[in-house]
Amino acid sequence: MNPITPIINGLRITLSHMFKKPITLQYPDERPKVAARFRGLHALNVSHNKAKCVACYLCPTVCPAKCITVEAGEDANHDKYAAKYEIDMLRCIFCGYCVEACPVDAIRMTGEFELANYRREDFVYSKERLLEKK
Amino acid sequence: MLNLTIDGKQVTAPKDSTIYDAARINGIKIPILCHDKKLKPFGACRMCLVEVEQMKGRQIPACTTPITEGMIVQTATPEIVKARELVLELLLLNHPLDCPVCDKGGDCDLQNLTYDYKVDSNRFLDSKFQHEIDYNNPLIERDMNRCVLCGKCVRICDEIVGFGALTFIDRGIETKIGCEFEKGLNCEFCGSCVSVCPVGSLLARPFKFKARFWSLTKQKSVCGYCGTGCNLTLGVKDNKVLTTIYDENQGFHNGQLCVRGRFGYQFINSEKRLTKPLVRKNGKLEESNWDEALEIIASRMKGAGAEVAAIATPRLTNEELLLFKKMMIMAGSNNYDHAAGYAHAALSDGFVRSFGTTAAPSTILDIQKSDLLLVIKTDSYETHPVIGFEINMAVKNKGVTLKILSDKQGKLSRLPDARTLVHSPGSEVAILNAMARVILDNKLADGSVTDVPGFANFEKALAGFAPEAIAEQCGLSAVDIKLLASSYARAEKALILFPVGQAYPGHNAALANAVANLAIIAGKLGKEGSGVLCLSEKNNSQGAVDMGFYAVDGALDALQIIDGCAAGSIKTLFIAGENPLVSYPDHAKIKAALDQTEFLIVSELFMTETAAMADVVLPVCSFAEKEGTVTATDRRVQHIKPAIKKIGQSRTDFEVFAALIDKLGGIAPATPASVFAEIAANVPGYADMSYSALGDEGVFAAVDVKPAFVVPQQTAAASPESGKLALVTGSALYHNGTLSQYGEGPMHVCPEGYIELSRADAAALKFAENDLLTVTSASGSMKLKARVTSRMPQGLVFAPYHFGANPVNQVWSGSPVTWVTVVK
Repeated sequence: MNPITPIINGLRITLSHMFKKPITLQYPDERPKVAARFRGLHALNVSHNKAKCVACYLCPTVCPAKCITVEAGEDANHDKYAAKYEIDMLRCIFCGYCVEACPVDAIRMTGEFELANYRREDFVYSKERLLEKK
Repeated sequence: MLNLTIDGKQVTAPKDSTIYDAARINGIKIPILCHDKKLKPFGACRMCLVEVEQMKGRQIPACTTPITEGMIVQTATPEIVKARELVLELLLLNHPLDCPVCDKGGDCDLQNLTYDYKVDSNRFLDSKFQHEIDYNNPLIERDMNRCVLCGKCVRICDEIVGFGALTFIDRGIETKIGCEFEKGLNCEFCGSCVSVCPVGSLLARPFKFKARFWSLTKQKSVCGYCGTGCNLTLGVKDNKVLTTIYDENQGFHNGQLCVRGRFGYQFINSEKRLTKPLVRKNGKLEESNWDEALEIIASRMKGAGAEVAAIATPRLTNEELLLFKKMMIMAGSNNYDHAAGYAHAALSDGFVRSFGTTAAPSTILDIQKSDLLLVIKTDSYETHPVIGFEINMAVKNKGVTLKILSDKQGKLSRLPDARTLVHSPGSEVAILNAMARVILDNKLADGSVTDVPGFANFEKALAGFAPEAIAEQCGLSAVDIKLLASSYARAEKALILFPVGQAYPGHNAALANAVANLAIIAGKLGKEGSGVLCLSEKNNSQGAVDMGFYAVDGALDALQIIDGCAAGSIKTLFIAGENPLVSYPDHAKIKAALDQTEFLIVSELFMTETAAMADVVLPVCSFAEKEGTVTATDRRVQHIKPAIKKIGQSRTDFEVFAALIDKLGGIAPATPASVFAEIAANVPGYADMSYSALGDEGVFAAVDVKPAFVVPQQTAAASPESGKLALVTGSALYHNGTLSQYGEGPMHVCPEGYIELSRADAAALKFAENDLLTVTSASGSMKLKARVTSRMPQGLVFAPYHFGANPVNQVWSGSPVTWVTVVK
């Protein structure tokens, strides 16, 4: 093949893009529209004004990054609840296994992806921070 | 052995097996919910249905069908699988599907079977049960909604524990498991029911919601409480022992545990554990570091000679005790002892003379092989509950005759056909000697008995033990003594058991000699299922004796050491793990002596009453953090390994003694294994042992018995003091030593000391249950809560010794019987 042809082909593609709408977003001025199944920051679902989580420990068990810490407690009705529920976002690989494992639909993943922070401890999301915002 | 075919595989199994056993022995798994190795077949769950060709292909339960020669069994035909699926469907119809919050999840037989058989839908409709859940009990939570009515809890409580707290209530669909009159559980809280429950109906409350089963690391260990040497599996997570896990294949006891073993583990990770060395500065114990603490101790020890003494708890491992002894010898002192001398006198003084060795000749395994058990003191059940279970099983399943010689009734007295001779307190030795006399007089003695050394003198001395006279002294009838003696002598195999320990000063060398004499004269030694078993108090009491950690050759024994401290001749006292202020006799005397001691070193897990008086307190490790060997009461040597990392800055006693040996100019062994090699080389019976050879279940150290008669001493009968009650001390079922105070389980059930008295005395003195009574003896006075029971004879009161908050040694000064006045 003529050594010039591939270069011309490449330039043609580049040229064609000059007339297309750019894919790049001017973030943060422009915000991406995340897909419904996007796996961003976790949220704990709430029902009847309390977290649905029953502290069954299936999410820390299935978590491949071992980033979830659960400690169960016993409430006044002798029911099990998560006295402590923490996700270390520095370790999380956003695989979504925790959501899949949950037997009571207590955890989901939101579209929230801006997780940057200044201090390491701020990446450890406590139960209060994870509770779904209404 | 019979031959049969299971699933096309030719197998053999013992004649008395069921199909289920035969399959299990040969590695064929049949699903089941209602079976446990220890329990009798029941056939409740219908999961183990199999087909037997000879029975025209009917489906029959494998767990209740005995095998026959040539049987052809199918365990998993499509019809059987269908039937099992139906059984599961019916069980799941009423069983709540709350696995995510059920602590049994992951360890649940029903869950596992449901998963195996893929029962994910149900074609029936019914409502779930709405039974009330018992949350009130601090140790056992009962949720009958989850129950599958396998009956294992009912059966284990009846067949093995012998308590019978649980039973089936109502019939048909309304059947449930409950207690008498549907009240709450009020039992021994051994948790056996919890351990066998195949679902989450019975749960250990101390472990509730602590962790899921699959996240626990299972570490095999040996219980750190009494001398039975029960194996247990610790469930560990995040360096915390969270529970004990049941394993029906573990140990001679098949995983059976008592309340202490099962629920008393919390001391290991207790908040109260000492984590840093403490040194007394300006009269106050202040946090220090190991270098400083050890340096101070070494400077006190160096060349101190006989001015230094040591008292150790027999909860240390063999290796630690040997090292401690070496360290003391290096400091120039032979003054070391343990357990106030009470726990080892029977062995180190008694059996040495009777058997020429410091161990009892029989093992726990002999209990179920015997024909007759003679138990001295019903307390044997309280001191060693798992041995008590063995006695229960021997009596109930094997038809062993049980005879008890005791100063009070007890749980053992209630076993079928058990005969308890209740004698006046402190007269066991005289009765045993009288029994020997009866055996001799009635020509029931063993043929070769005249060849045993010391026979002539023994025979002569027995003249003073005429059963009639003794009976009168002891509050028995001569006929009873004679009957007991002859049934003991006539039994082909007979075993005598007696507990020893810090609260049993009467169970001393004289008792050991009397027991041994009786066994020798009746020819009950050297046979399986026969002999003598001395139940040692702590997990390594026998080991402490084997390691020679007691006073010999004129060295000071424990009580003399205390006297020496008081007199000022002992200037430095090293107490490793012992709490003499609570467990040794005469509180005031011990306190004064420890106050007098110039320099007191205590190595402990907790800030005990004794540690609070020390000049240096060293934080040391519990059994779950160290490696070593412990020797159970029947000389079973077992290897323990660390289950968790050391707490805080604590070190093992081994490391402490090794560091001190180094500082004293010696060469300390590097690892416990090297010390054990030395033990194996030097200690009689331990030859050829090594950590690897000990395995999971340990090895029995051989006991070489050379029987000899020991001439019994005439003892004056304890003369009752008029108007006073006889106080005997002892062990409460829920406690062992003073360590169990730091276990939450035992403290939930038995949080404080009490004084147990008979109904007759209570009525006469107008005491009611829980009245606060003032108990006064010659040595002091204290307040104890009253407990009125039917098992005590009139005139006798009992108090357990374990409690540091209000120790019974305020009124007890070391005699087997203390005369006390009790007022409200």
